[in-house]
Amino acid sequence: MRHEREITDESRRGTEGDAPLTASTSTTDQPHGGDHTPLPLAGIRVVDVGNFLAGPHAASILGEFGAEVFKVEHPIAGDPMRRFGTPTAREDATLKWLSEARNRKSVTIDLRQPDGVTLFLELLAKSDVLVENFRPGTMEEWGLSWSRIHEANPRLVMLRVSGYGQTGPYRRRSGFAHIAQAFGGLSYLCGFPGETPVLAGTVPLGDYIASLFGAIGVLVALRHVETTGRGQLIDVGIYESVFRVLEEIAAAYGTSGKIREREGAGSFVACPHGHFRTKDDKWIAIACTTDKMFERLSVAMGQPELSSSGLYGDQRKRLAARETVNAIVTEWVGSLTRDEVLQRCLVEEVPAGKVNSIADIFEDEQFAARENLVRMTAPGVGEVVVPGVVPRLSATPGRITSLGPELGDHTERVLRDLLGKTAADVAALRHRRIV
Amino acid sequence: MPTTYGSTHDDMQATLPLAGIRVIDVATVIAAPYCATILGEFGADVLKVEHPIGGDALRRFGTPSQRGDTLTWLSEGRNKRSVTLDLRRPEGMELFKGLIRETDVLCENFRTGTLEKWGLGWEVLREINPRLVMLRVTGYGQTGPYKDRPGFARVAHAVGGIAYLAGMPKGTPVTPGSTTLADYMTGLYGAIGVLIALRHRDLTGEGQYVDAALYESIFRCTEELAPAFAMYGTVRERAGSSHNDFACPHGHFATKDGKWVAISCATDKLFARLARAMGRPELASSSTYGDQRTRLENRHDVNEIVRDWCGSLTREQILERCYATDTPAGPLNDIADIFGDRQFHARRNLVAMDERETGEAIIVPAPVPTLSETPGSIRSLGPKLGEHTEEVLAEVLGLDAARIAELRAKRVI
Repeated sequence: MRHEREITDESRRGTEGDAPLTASTSTTDQPHGGDHTPLPLAGIRVVDVGNFLAGPHAASILGEFGAEVFKVEHPIAGDPMRRFGTPTAREDATLKWLSEARNRKSVTIDLRQPDGVTLFLELLAKSDVLVENFRPGTMEEWGLSWSRIHEANPRLVMLRVSGYGQTGPYRRRSGFAHIAQAFGGLSYLCGFPGETPVLAGTVPLGDYIASLFGAIGVLVALRHVETTGRGQLIDVGIYESVFRVLEEIAAAYGTSGKIREREGAGSFVACPHGHFRTKDDKWIAIACTTDKMFERLSVAMGQPELSSSGLYGDQRKRLAARETVNAIVTEWVGSLTRDEVLQRCLVEEVPAGKVNSIADIFEDEQFAARENLVRMTAPGVGEVVVPGVVPRLSATPGRITSLGPELGDHTERVLRDLLGKTAADVAALRHRRIV
Repeated sequence: MPTTYGSTHDDMQATLPLAGIRVIDVATVIAAPYCATILGEFGADVLKVEHPIGGDALRRFGTPSQRGDTLTWLSEGRNKRSVTLDLRRPEGMELFKGLIRETDVLCENFRTGTLEKWGLGWEVLREINPRLVMLRVTGYGQTGPYKDRPGFARVAHAVGGIAYLAGMPKGTPVTPGSTTLADYMTGLYGAIGVLIALRHRDLTGEGQYVDAALYESIFRCTEELAPAFAMYGTVRERAGSSHNDFACPHGHFATKDGKWVAISCATDKLFARLARAMGRPELASSSTYGDQRTRLENRHDVNEIVRDWCGSLTREQILERCYATDTPAGPLNDIADIFGDRQFHARRNLVAMDERETGEAIIVPAPVPTLSETPGSIRSLGPKLGEHTEEVLAEVLGLDAARIAELRAKRVI
């Protein structure tokens, strides 16, 4: 069995000598360590049976750091993310799919058929991690309860992501990120006071955050497997992932009954701290968290007297006179171009930055220097630019080896090489539409 | 308002997966310290190394507790032991090096070059402890033309591309819900990097550093923003509460009682369910709005219908009808709603802990994620400044009482 062997340097090289199917080229290279540099998660096999991003993003990260990731999909429909978002020349791949299904091998199995379930369990027996995000109860209906999976492979770590988690009265409710972010308390805080709450920038933010927690859970659980041999279940609700990152909101309500409201572009605890419009109709973020930073800003504005103790030198005074202070900053920012404002702030070391659109990002020298935009080639599509690997490791940097695969591109190989099926078996499975 | 939710967990550190891992958190505020917080929840021994005067600025950010340290400190300083050490003094530096020798992970977020200036750069630390894993968090990362700029989460939200997308179309870009979002997200990516690096360390004996930038954590989560610009020149703009490019209705709607609901109909099937919830199944026929494309073309009308319906009923009524037909919908909870919610209660997402000195009950978010065999735990709230200095210096470095008194007199600790 795969997981019973020692992890040696040899076994950490590549994945079964199996070259990535996609001939990818990276022109603004990820920090390549050469094709044979062993990555820390080489030898770990992940089965990702999730749809869209909540959970699958965890599998993506594991894949970037060397895990072999099989995307198990329905033989006909595949992951709906293949059709969600901006289309490409390929019918089975939106840009979202190409970017976020990176480093995967697609295997089709119909889990709604009992023989598909058996096949799936055979695959799990040879895997280390399972990622899923069906509505709680769905896998159980297919005969894929945790106890059965755990029995098939006691060392397996299973990540389950859902809107509300696997327990509690709302567990069966449909929980997309948009809903879960609202339920978790983030959406209420986003927008201007008294106005319509808006999205916190992007719809699937909660999916990503839940996945980050999920990846941490998987890595912690894998350590536990190594010391005890026992796998376990990781249960992540998107709503609680979002709630976990809202700093003191719960504690403040708990001690004083204070309800945090929308702050618009500003902040209740510091001033000036927000987004300001420049003369050339762009936006800049300025964050004066402390008195020292406001002093620097007042120098940058050419009005050093503003930070005197008689005026606005003290944070409490600035917060009390927030509208006046913001008006002064708004006027100054509005009198100059974005580049001019930023330059003056940077000279004085005022924390400030452009409110970048994606067009700004493509022109930015920091993004270029850090290689945050990676150019890859996807077969049938051409060049696709995707976000690079985060975080950056000095000795074993992560890699993008391929973009979102074609549906079922590894079904045959997995059935034959990994699960030992004959050509006749495979043909029969195909005929019955199990794969 | 219920007063207790979960309970203080028993000391189960020894059985947790990260037991035996020692972490030094010499960082400030949230980003890198949050990585240490997570590692601590799963059993690591986290030593918070702070300047003897004032300590971590997080102790002063936000709402003060009865003890003086802020609520955020009490919550996010959970499970940590506080050790004071002045790294600017040669003796402090030597003690720090001694601690590094006995440590698995170091978390820091000084401006680039600061540790190097103190003679504590990566090359030096690696020589002291080749097995060390180091998390370095800054606004812009350790490399590139902006590496020396001051970096705060607000600026990272702006630079990383998410602030531009938050707000009403053509309106002022707003804070994406929380001014510290990038800090938390970088703590999460940082923890992933550290856990991966620990695995590599265990397999090869080689430590390394993780270079995390606040703006990158944000940018990484912008799904197809970059590919769509590169391929079609699409510059995505602020879209209010909706994601109108691909789905309609999809947004936040006001209810009769002045509250808000989120409704999200990504597919035709989901819209048909909403139409039934609204008591108007005919809206989902093929000649009306049954097709996503038709709805997107007529999004103003569709949104108007949903808005009118939501405005005619209370939040409770709207949600009840949506749940009855399995339409994806939910409340926009404020923190009071959250404290009263059955799901938060059932999942024990809120943990009440008593501050040891004042007895003040502090309610904090429970660890995420939930592990079935080795769940994370909160064993203590954020410590007092220097609360564990003597204990740690004796335990880890074997210093005796006289030496510790001497260091204290010199204000090194």
